[in-house]
Amino acid sequence: MKDHPVSRRRALVTLGALGLGASGLMLPAPRPAHAQALGQHETVDEALKRIFGARPMKDGSGVVKLDLPLIAENGAVVPVSVDVTSPMTPANHVKTIYVVADKNRIPVVFRAALGPEAGQAAVGATIRLGETGDVRAIVEQSDGTLLAVKREVKVTVGGCGG
Amino acid sequence: MSDIGKVRVRLPSSIKPGDVVRVRSLVIHPMERIERDSKGRIIDKKYLYINRVVATYLGKTVAAFDTTQSVSENPTFVFSFRATDPGTLTITFHDTHGGKYEGTADVKFV
Repeated sequence: MKDHPVSRRRALVTLGALGLGASGLMLPAPRPAHAQALGQHETVDEALKRIFGARPMKDGSGVVKLDLPLIAENGAVVPVSVDVTSPMTPANHVKTIYVVADKNRIPVVFRAALGPEAGQAAVGATIRLGETGDVRAIVEQSDGTLLAVKREVKVTVGGCGG
Repeated sequence: MSDIGKVRVRLPSSIKPGDVVRVRSLVIHPMERIERDSKGRIIDKKYLYINRVVATYLGKTVAAFDTTQSVSENPTFVFSFRATDPGTLTITFHDTHGGKYEGTADVKFV
C-alpha cells in the first residue's frame, strides 16, 4: 500500500467528491426507472398540471361529498371517503376519482378507476397527511368533465415522515 | 412483518340480488415512506409499498386503485359494486417489490 501512487485516503476523498457531484447533477435529470408514475415528489400545482394539464375544473360541491375528519389527531391514518351522486350507467358514470393532499410531499394519494358495474360512485381509504392543509377530491366523469371539491383538515401529529 | 400481505374483506351480512354492496378491505402492509439521509436528501431506493389494488367480481373489474406512498400503513380501501349473481369477489393488492396479495369474499344471497 505504501508505494501506491494514490493513497487510500486520497482515493476515498475523490470518490466522495465525485459521488456528491454526481448526485447534485442527478437532481434535475429525469427520475430513475423505478420512480412512481402517479405519486411524485412535487408540489400540488405541479401534480395537478401533470395529471390534468389545462383542463377546466368545475366546482363539484353539489355532487361530490368528500368526507374527512375536521381534526386528524394522527396524520398517519386518516380515513377519507368520496361519494359522488351519479346514475352510474354506461352513458353517464364516474370514471376516476383522485384524492390529492395539498401539503403532502407526494400530493397524489390515490386514483380509483370505476365503471358502471360499481353501481355507486363511492370509494374510501385510509391516507397519510403530513400537516394541516387542504385535501381535494377530483372526479372525472365519463363525458370528461372534472369536478373538484376540497376541505381543510387540521393535523395534530403529521404522519408522512421523510 | 410476518403478517405482511394478510388481507381481510368485509361484506354486509345480508345481500339481496341487485343490491349495491359496499365492501371494506384491509391489507397488512408496511407502506414504506420516503426516507432521507442526514443531509435531508431523499434516499433513492425501491420503496416497498402497494401501488395497485384491483377488485374483480364475476370476471369484471369493479374498482381499481392506483396508490402512492401517501396511503397509510395497513391501508383499508372501501368501494362498492352491484351484486347481480352469486360469485366470488377477489381483491388483489400489488406492491412495488412484485408482491401479490389476494383476498376473496363469497357473494351469496340469503
